[in-house]
Amino acid sequence: MTTTATIIAAEQTFDAEQRLIIRAKAGDKLAFEQLYQRYVGMVYSLCLRLMVDRSLAEDATQEVFIQLWRKLDNFQGNSKFSTWLHSVTSNVAISYLRKQRGWLQRMFTLEQTEVMQHVAEASTDQVDLDAYIKRLPERARIVFVLHAIEGYRYEEIAGLTNMAVGSSKAQFHRAKQLLQEWMGYE
Amino acid sequence: MSNPDFEQQLKKQIDQLSQSTAPNRDLWPGIEMAISREQSTKPRPYWAIAAGVAMLCGVGWMTLQMDPTVSANKNLVVVLSAQHQQQMQALMVSYQDQPALTDNWQQQLQQLDEAALAIKKALQQEPQNVALLKMLQQVHQQQIDLIEKVHSPKWQQI
Repeated sequence: MTTTATIIAAEQTFDAEQRLIIRAKAGDKLAFEQLYQRYVGMVYSLCLRLMVDRSLAEDATQEVFIQLWRKLDNFQGNSKFSTWLHSVTSNVAISYLRKQRGWLQRMFTLEQTEVMQHVAEASTDQVDLDAYIKRLPERARIVFVLHAIEGYRYEEIAGLTNMAVGSSKAQFHRAKQLLQEWMGYE
Repeated sequence: MSNPDFEQQLKKQIDQLSQSTAPNRDLWPGIEMAISREQSTKPRPYWAIAAGVAMLCGVGWMTLQMDPTVSANKNLVVVLSAQHQQQMQALMVSYQDQPALTDNWQQQLQQLDEAALAIKKALQQEPQNVALLKMLQQVHQQQIDLIEKVHSPKWQQI
């Protein structure tokens, strides 16, 4: 495909998406379903990375789209729809995770157990990064996913997760140390 | 100390991460059910309020007309039953295009009908029994709740 043809195809996709958004804002469920079909993979992928548990990630994905239906009017088109949806997904997923299993309990009680377990399982075998991310302790995993993959700033992560900016930096450092160890670079 | 090879490898692996993963099950029906419920609850209050007002007027009128005689109480049962039937019909019409969540809801409705019939028979024997009248109203309310629940289940707040 030539560059011009690629640009035209991208513009057509963008226009089609804008039309779907306008229709969905007006209450058209069929248009909203088409938006769902376009983005369910992206939303679920992020939820799964943050939560690890498939069932929780599926429930959170549903919650993201229900919230999206309610908040679609807030999308003003100042950014790409996918960028805005990433932000909605992160917010809903973190909030969902917090409600599900008692945020404080998970952060301060289970975390130590998880680390010990993961260190014991460490191996130098070639495993894809997603598999390593799943093995990270929860707080380190959330910060790593949001910062390294989703491009959030530490300040934004701190606001989202109710932890101090310094803690979010420390958790990212911790995640990288564990990954380095597991990937056989130490 | 961070290893440059590791940093490079990590960046490469992050760039290669899949940005889309399909869930194991179809999530759309649950989403559609939740957003449909939000849509369907908006217009309902108007006719629900109208039905409620009509019922109150009917009961109020009966109360004004009523003297403590057996025939008046019998009329009250008749009026309550008629108004309940109207309310049920209106509900059925409003939900006729929406699928029910369970297959046996009509059977449950029938069982409640039988319970209401038994109470009405008892009221024929004891027309001034207030407890029986309340029981009849409760059964009527259970029927309304049943129809609403199977057609517009409340989405679990998460």
